Amino acid sequence: MPAACRDVRLDFVNPSAEILVVDDHDGFRAFARIMLEAAGFTVAEAATGAEATEAARTVRPRLVLLDIQLPDFDGFEVARRLAAQPDSPVIVLTSTREASDYGGRIAASPVAGFLPKDQLSGAALLEFLARSPA
Amino acid sequence: MSRRLRAILIAGAVAMVAYEIVVSYVPGPPPELIFVITNAAVGLSFLVAGIAAWQRWPASRLGLLFTIVGYAWLLPQVGQLRYALPFTISNITANIYAASLAHLALAWPSGRLRSRFERGVVVAVYTWNTGQSIVSLLFWNPRTNGCAGCPANLLLVSGSNSIEHIFDVISVPVGLTISAIVLTLIVRHWRSARGWSRRVMVPLVWISFAVVALSVVQTVTGNLNLHVSNLVLYGIAPLILLAGPALFVASTLRARMARGAVGSAIVDLEPGAPPERLRDALARALGDSTMQLAFRLPDGSGYLDTSGRAVDPARPGQGRVVMPLGESGEAVLVHDQGLEHEPQLVRLTASAAGMALEHARLQAEVQAQLEQVQASRTRIVEAGDAERRRLERDLHDGAQQRLVTLTLALGMARSRAAGADPELESLIDSATKEAREALVELRELARGIHPAVLTETGLAGAIQALVERSPVATTITALPAGRFPAQIEATAYFVVSEALANVAKHAAAGSAQVTIRQLTGQLMVQVSDDGAGGAKPEGSGLRGLADRVASAGGVLRIDSPPGSGTRLEADIPCT
Repeated sequence: MPAACRDVRLDFVNPSAEILVVDDHDGFRAFARIMLEAAGFTVAEAATGAEATEAARTVRPRLVLLDIQLPDFDGFEVARRLAAQPDSPVIVLTSTREASDYGGRIAASPVAGFLPKDQLSGAALLEFLARSPA
Repeated sequence: MSRRLRAILIAGAVAMVAYEIVVSYVPGPPPELIFVITNAAVGLSFLVAGIAAWQRWPASRLGLLFTIVGYAWLLPQVGQLRYALPFTISNITANIYAASLAHLALAWPSGRLRSRFERGVVVAVYTWNTGQSIVSLLFWNPRTNGCAGCPANLLLVSGSNSIEHIFDVISVPVGLTISAIVLTLIVRHWRSARGWSRRVMVPLVWISFAVVALSVVQTVTGNLNLHVSNLVLYGIAPLILLAGPALFVASTLRARMARGAVGSAIVDLEPGAPPERLRDALARALGDSTMQLAFRLPDGSGYLDTSGRAVDPARPGQGRVVMPLGESGEAVLVHDQGLEHEPQLVRLTASAAGMALEHARLQAEVQAQLEQVQASRTRIVEAGDAERRRLERDLHDGAQQRLVTLTLALGMARSRAAGADPELESLIDSATKEAREALVELRELARGIHPAVLTETGLAGAIQALVERSPVATTITALPAGRFPAQIEATAYFVVSEALANVAKHAAAGSAQVTIRQLTGQLMVQVSDDGAGGAKPEGSGLRGLADRVASAGGVLRIDSPPGSGTRLEADIPCT
């Protein structure tokens, strides 16, 4: 589905955001925002794959925390699209499931890594940022 | 035929034969033995055939006609007595047997004459054969005309040799014409007959030619005073008449055998044979090549036979008879009318065919039920799989998500409470630990219900994940990368999952191997280990797995000799 056809919610976009949290679960996004802002990040949110690609272009985050299971297309597809953009952000896939539940798909994706949702912390994300070349 | 009548007929026949033998000892020159034998054999054979025909078809006149021929043949033998009256009677009745033979042949095989014209012909033959003898006797003085030792001719009016000779010469063309008409009618009957009727006409045609030829030779030589050996003409040649009764006995035997043939025709049909095979078998057994087996069209608009021709049971056609099979009227046999003379055989055939069709119907019904059961079993398993996928997803979207959020909240609470209250800190720590463990348990539960990895990545990823989690060192020898229909992936996955669980629990194995190959038309799944063996296929886990594989139309094989490891192999059809 082309992103332009979607009604993209940009009301929450913070132009200086460093982290884009992509998850269709409102409760998780809210907690993630509180936690990451407490850790000193600026945070933007997207609830679908289409919003995520659109927000990544406008917000230009340094890191995208990307839930694998999304209502429109899955996290792997979003990761592929984001990685195809120039100056692509560091992408970290996340899920309530474990990495092994996705077989080799995570390793085959253009992402920096996988973080189980319950392990989310500012420190964990900083580690990903530190390990990434950009 | 009543017992009494039969006894009378048999007694009459015995008396006639006894008489034959006795008269051969009457004073005077004894007749040649061959005449005695021929006369007795021919006469007796027709009487026996008559009794047999009466027995076989009580309603038909064929028995009566055979009996008439027998007596008409034997009656002139009274002439052996050297007295005037029997001698005269013998000469009057000498040719009646030939008329009754013509009657029998024209009425074959039903015993009834087919038309008024034919009845006229038969009456004419009887009249001519008797009248000609009487008229001839009026002018024949045996004592002055070739038989000096014969008794007197009671009908003699004038012993004029010339009148007798002129009459005899005139008789020849009339006799020939009558013979030709009878023969033509027999051939016409044969040509218009079809199926069973035609078959039973064929030998009659040949025999008729021979008998007419004999009769013509006898008439011509007798009436024209040609000198041909009497021994051949009246002693040996009449044995050709034995062919009539022989033909009948043969057809009776054939009918008997046909009853057996109908039975074996049905028995020999392989199960599920198409209806045209049944028709062919019955047509062969009954000797009616024109037989049709017709079925009612599903919309009830009419009947079609096995070669696709429309059949109207109300108007089966000239000389055809309809026999319904069973009570439903779903199928009918249409056969040659001649077969009505074999009512038992036709009834037997109809019930045998009815049974064969009922058998085929039941077989088709069982097959259809089996297919329904198989389809519903597959649907049940598919519905179960779908339900498990939904449950897993619900857990993932609901409880797991909430526990994750709770863990995060506890994490934030822990960092806010840092340094403020050590007791609160330890409380939050243990709450976080509980929540994490609940999350782990929930993940295991969800994975057991339906592995997300199977839905997400397909068989290859799911099997890799299984093998990675297996506590026994497991290697994958072959694993197709592509995706398969959900039911096939789930079945293959559960085979490997159950097999590896068994290896870990029971086999005491050092290593295991998983092989999945896509072969033509099927997916072959194999799990083997080097453990203790002795796995029991009837155990509930393997039984359930076998059911699961069967629901996908596949088979599960277990090879587990004690001490030699276990090999589990499933062939799952996939196109």
